[in-house]
Amino acid sequence: MNMTKIFITTSIGIASLLFAFAVNAQTINLPPSLSIQILSQNTLSGVAGDFVNVQGQITNTGTTTLTDVTTYLSLVDTGTKLPVDLEDWSAEKGLYIGSIDTKQTLPLSWKIHFVKAGTYSLIIIAEVGSNQIPQVSTITHFDVAAKKNLNPGQVLPVALGTPIILLFLLFILSYRRKVDE
Amino acid sequence: MFTYIWHKEIKGALYTWKSMLWLLISSLLFSVTCYLLLTNKELSLLDQTELLWLLGKVIIGVALLIVNVDASSSITTEFEKETAESIFLSPISLTDFILGKLLASLTLWFAIFAVSIPYILVASAGSHLAIPFLAYTAFLGTLGVLGLVFLVFAISLFFRSSKNTLTTSLIILLGLSIPAVFSTTLKNDVVSQIISRANPIDNIFSSLDNVLVDYQTSLLQNWQFILPLVVFFLLTFTALLFAMHQFQKQGVIRNE
Repeated sequence: MNMTKIFITTSIGIASLLFAFAVNAQTINLPPSLSIQILSQNTLSGVAGDFVNVQGQITNTGTTTLTDVTTYLSLVDTGTKLPVDLEDWSAEKGLYIGSIDTKQTLPLSWKIHFVKAGTYSLIIIAEVGSNQIPQVSTITHFDVAAKKNLNPGQVLPVALGTPIILLFLLFILSYRRKVDE
Repeated sequence: MFTYIWHKEIKGALYTWKSMLWLLISSLLFSVTCYLLLTNKELSLLDQTELLWLLGKVIIGVALLIVNVDASSSITTEFEKETAESIFLSPISLTDFILGKLLASLTLWFAIFAVSIPYILVASAGSHLAIPFLAYTAFLGTLGVLGLVFLVFAISLFFRSSKNTLTTSLIILLGLSIPAVFSTTLKNDVVSQIISRANPIDNIFSSLDNVLVDYQTSLLQNWQFILPLVVFFLLTFTALLFAMHQFQKQGVIRNE
């Protein structure tokens, strides 16, 4: 009788453990079978205001077609260790790819505008709709030098000159009108 | 015949102190805006694109205000000074009259735009945005000014009084301008977004933002802002045609 009880209890325990593993396997997914390769240089340098192209490719390395694939950028200021809002850096923050067939490779391209001086690191992230874990690329480093193009010396002649020229024109037109009359 | 009205308006308005003084004041406004923005040496390139956007908004805002005030009195003074009767007794048609007045208002806009060119060039130095900035300010400004002038002329033909026309057109301009300067965080609800989509001034500012801050410089990338402006232009043009039709039905001397 005791042996039967022990057998039943052990069987239920093993069954519970197997169920728990199965549930766990569903919630902790593996990254999607995607490979993101960066084709542009590892470090891109320039002056604030320059445009650079970050190019890469995404490949479905798995044996099934992946659907609802989205890629987007993540930019971090390595000086302040803070993420950067991509507003102004790139008009296209994300690229919706949709589906990728098995072994298919698609190009990725982002036109990046260097906005502010500093050092930055950029990664491309790919998400597959049903998968909880994203796939990431290797890091591309940005080295952006400052550009001082706001010279107050340029604006002063215009700021003072334009109203003075207009005032001068005003007098000439007014004088000509009086002469005509 | 419309050229006669146009030349008369130009001679009567632009050659006097009054209208030229407006140009001088707008030039001083652009000078102060540009100088304050550009003398900040700490501004980064990001701030430069934003200052260009701000300057664009100041240029178009000042132009719309000046043209609005000018257009409000352009037609109505003919009724108040009782010169309308003699004009319409001459072989000048209502279409010629309106066209001449419209060209005069457009001339004022182009004069303000011409004054703003040096400021646009100096502010956008080094940003590669001078040509898109000039082109879009001219294009969006012309569309906005045309739509506004059509509306003001329609109101003028309806009221035939400077005071009422000016008050109504200024209220309309304010009504369109105030939501346009709200930040995007204040436009998150559906109603605000619908108003924002339909508001011509909002679309002018959003298109400038798209061009100057987001570098979306082609017309195709700005169609979502240009289309509502074209719709506004067509609607106000229809309103003007209707007002002209009503005016011709009522005659120069209206029986109140």
